[in-house]
Amino acid sequence: MTQPVPTPTPIDSRGPRFGAGVTFVLALAALFFGLLLPLEPTLLLRIASPEFLLLLVVWIAFTIGTFFGIGANPWALVFRHWVRPRLSKPAVTEDPRPPHFALGVGFALSTIGLVLHVVGVPYGLIVASAAIVIASFLNAFVGYCLGCQVFLLLVRVGAIRPKSPIAG
Amino acid sequence: MLALGITGAVVAVAAGLGALWRVTSGRRRRGDGERFAPGELPGLDDLAPGATLVQFSTELCAICPATRRYLEQVAAERGGVRHHEIDLTHNPQLAQRLRILQTPTVFVLDPAGRLTARFGGAPRRAELADALDQLVPQPEWNL
Repeated sequence: MTQPVPTPTPIDSRGPRFGAGVTFVLALAALFFGLLLPLEPTLLLRIASPEFLLLLVVWIAFTIGTFFGIGANPWALVFRHWVRPRLSKPAVTEDPRPPHFALGVGFALSTIGLVLHVVGVPYGLIVASAAIVIASFLNAFVGYCLGCQVFLLLVRVGAIRPKSPIAG
Repeated sequence: MLALGITGAVVAVAAGLGALWRVTSGRRRRGDGERFAPGELPGLDDLAPGATLVQFSTELCAICPATRRYLEQVAAERGGVRHHEIDLTHNPQLAQRLRILQTPTVFVLDPAGRLTARFGGAPRRAELADALDQLVPQPEWNL
């Protein structure tokens, strides 16, 4: 993209935090079962395991949010239709691009966890789930977007070279 | 049960990181006195007579817009103070050189361009006021 685009419409900042709360619960359960159950011996058993299925749900939401926009994320839909109508008008709105980038970080982490689990690497899913638990906890309960902060570090080490400007 | 214990420990680590961030974010750190010549920082060709607040942001920084509004308000309230924002998204070399690890990071520069204070995260109100008081004294009758 070469033409400047106007800043995207601000969103209710409680939406991404709600989504992070759902992600936290699911990733926590995935982490718990990953620790509780020994790594299953066959591919089929690993794919049918509760830790894999729980992280898969997290991954699906991250994937939709990353590639179809933050508003298409299932947790964002739940928030818009059932949670937000019960809340007061948003006190704070925010640019959707930082939380959208954070979804991409979550997508990368959960993909790594699922792939390592499927091919049978011990602790792969556990470490990925633990990272998602920590990041989503900070986002949901502290209001600190760890995924957003990673952006500057990735730019610094040259891992990503953003075009100007970044589309939402 | 071990699984439950480790799961709890991961949550405890997250809570600890959150607490650490709450405690340390926006704290004033003393500048090392490094001096920035006019034009050395992108877009900053002349310095304010009192203090210049240089905010480093990226396009993907969640709290940078709120910090910008806050610092612009501070600049409007105090004479001689100016706010200047620098986007690091396309300038990783500058982030490298100034050792900036998080956004927003705010530098307080005196009229000669010396770094007198730096803040990682949104500056705390009282600590920013303190840093500015040294450069732009508030009149007594204002207290």
